[in-house]
Amino acid sequence: MSERLKKIFESKSPKTKLVAYFVGCYPDYKSSLETIKQAIDNGASVIEVGYCTSEASAEGPIIKEAHDHVLANGGSLKETIKLVKDIRNYNSKVGILLMGYIANLYKYPINKFVKDIKDSGTDACLVVDAPHELKEENQLRDQLNKHGLSLIKLVAPTTDDKRLQDIINISTGFIYQVNVAGVTGVKNAKDEDVNNFVKRIKKLTDTPICSGFGIKSPEDAKKIANSGCDGIVIGSAFVKYIQDNINDKNLPQKIGTYVKSFVDILK
Amino acid sequence: MTKNSLKNGPDELGYYGIGENAMGGMAVGETLMPALHELNKGFEEAIKDQDFLDEYAYYCKHYIGRPSPLYYAENLTKNLGGAKILFKQEHLNHTGSHKVNNSLFQILLARRMKKTHLICESGAGQHFSATAAVAAKFNMPLIGVMGKTDIARVNQNVVKAKHYGAKLKAVEGSLKEAITFAIKTWTSNPDYAYIIGSCVSSAPFPKIVTFAQSIIGKEIREQSMAQEGKIPDMIVGCLGGGSNFAGSIYEFLDEPSVKKIGVEAAETAALSNGTPGIMQGMKTYMLQTNDGSKSLGGSSLGAGIQYFSVGPMHAYLKNLNAVEYTSATDKEILDAYKLVAKTEGISSALEPMAGAAEVIKQAKDKSKDYTICLSLCGRGEKDLDTIEQHIGKDFE
Repeated sequence: MSERLKKIFESKSPKTKLVAYFVGCYPDYKSSLETIKQAIDNGASVIEVGYCTSEASAEGPIIKEAHDHVLANGGSLKETIKLVKDIRNYNSKVGILLMGYIANLYKYPINKFVKDIKDSGTDACLVVDAPHELKEENQLRDQLNKHGLSLIKLVAPTTDDKRLQDIINISTGFIYQVNVAGVTGVKNAKDEDVNNFVKRIKKLTDTPICSGFGIKSPEDAKKIANSGCDGIVIGSAFVKYIQDNINDKNLPQKIGTYVKSFVDILK
Repeated sequence: MTKNSLKNGPDELGYYGIGENAMGGMAVGETLMPALHELNKGFEEAIKDQDFLDEYAYYCKHYIGRPSPLYYAENLTKNLGGAKILFKQEHLNHTGSHKVNNSLFQILLARRMKKTHLICESGAGQHFSATAAVAAKFNMPLIGVMGKTDIARVNQNVVKAKHYGAKLKAVEGSLKEAITFAIKTWTSNPDYAYIIGSCVSSAPFPKIVTFAQSIIGKEIREQSMAQEGKIPDMIVGCLGGGSNFAGSIYEFLDEPSVKKIGVEAAETAALSNGTPGIMQGMKTYMLQTNDGSKSLGGSSLGAGIQYFSVGPMHAYLKNLNAVEYTSATDKEILDAYKLVAKTEGISSALEPMAGAAEVIKQAKDKSKDYTICLSLCGRGEKDLDTIEQHIGKDFE
């Protein structure tokens, strides 16, 4: 369990926390670091840093393109962990969540991964394709617990009551509530579905809930925040913004302004 | 089954074997986990339902045309001058390959589970055309995902699938990319049934596909006993994901006297050249970068065996040395194609010719009463353009 995440979610302000997802080392190491610094300076509570793999099975076209770009330029999990270290050196308060898939984490291998991310200042990790049925998830969770880090678990609209309880039982830090059945950045979240889902989870636990998938604008974020969730995850919208402004010299500053538009509406 | 049976696996979480070496498992996102558990439950119930099994047997006979013959390839046997070679004629099935055994089984299962929409992926297009045919028969809409490289080279199967009313989703790449995209499509539509084409990906798929295809080995036993008075001494088969070979050997897994050799494409030989990893829902051997961030390509003339990874049961059997795995090059595949065409008048698909290449090596120094069975799991029609490009129209 990460103490830093605990503090972040115990704090009354901002009312709803922004979890800002960026593909680590995208479009390159330096721009990625500058962009994330701006996101922190403009009020993101948690930075979710994606590490890349070629068979990422939950990514829609926007994030897939970014993954492919990073991999084609020799990006690796090791380099992404180095990026996290630089982010932590820049800011000691922001939450940092490392997010990706089991393929390269498994090969790292798991023990060394946990040690290295602990050293880098990461607070938590989220592995999309590692459900609690997977042996490697059990090993990873065990190691993270020993090092005072959180494993963030996903719950989806398809998750039944028994699974929901099982996942809540092993969740620390926060619960990542997936709003739509689908890949990132495609479908739109529906307020009513999100409201009902948040209620369903709140009945079972006090662990903070961050709601993600299908939130594309500050206005969407505001509507979803009304569900009572504790945080909002924005991913594809930021990655798309980077893609649309990739040759702009002021990209980091622009991202900062864009992040602020979400933070302000969630205060 | 005894305690040490190789047929005991996988366990309830989908693992073949125990401890660090266990292969398989369930490595997919949360959205699909309930669907996979539902599928596992549906499968376990269905295989205890005699009416369901009878229905499968009925359509195997009347729709597919089973049993496929076990044919004594006399001329090839004489040409090689050694072991007696038997072809399991899976290419004579309706839709032209072994794939239809599995498409039929899974679509009947989907119907039993009240599913209304279907998704599939395909490499050589054999699984797409087979699934589309069965989907048409049972009036269920199907989306098939294929890589553009494969669509170009096995176009006939795609055309047929369209005639049967299926929709094609084309993605960049080949089978590997098609599988990842099919998983994404299913994640976006978790109430659909995903009719996977091989014994790969998350549990329970490897188990289900192996069960459906094990009809091949059961028939081999009966036919070999009736025709030869014994079971085969050796079974050889090609594998990409490994459903044809799994189906051929499953029946004989607890009989070490039957030597079993699986043959991958040399360019994508996951079992010979790969390392353990976790991608596309399963832990198994695969071709990947050292850090596991990227699956590695590699092209084979046999579209259906051009796959960077392999089903977890094969990885498990390799670890136990219960089955031998090797590979064949494009040249060996083409040479085997020529020999089989000329000696037996069979235009085989290129994939099983990877198996035939190994049979050619194995047969020569064996005695005449030693029998080798090879599953000819597909017809050559889809490959005629590829064959023409590489060895001409009328090879002398």
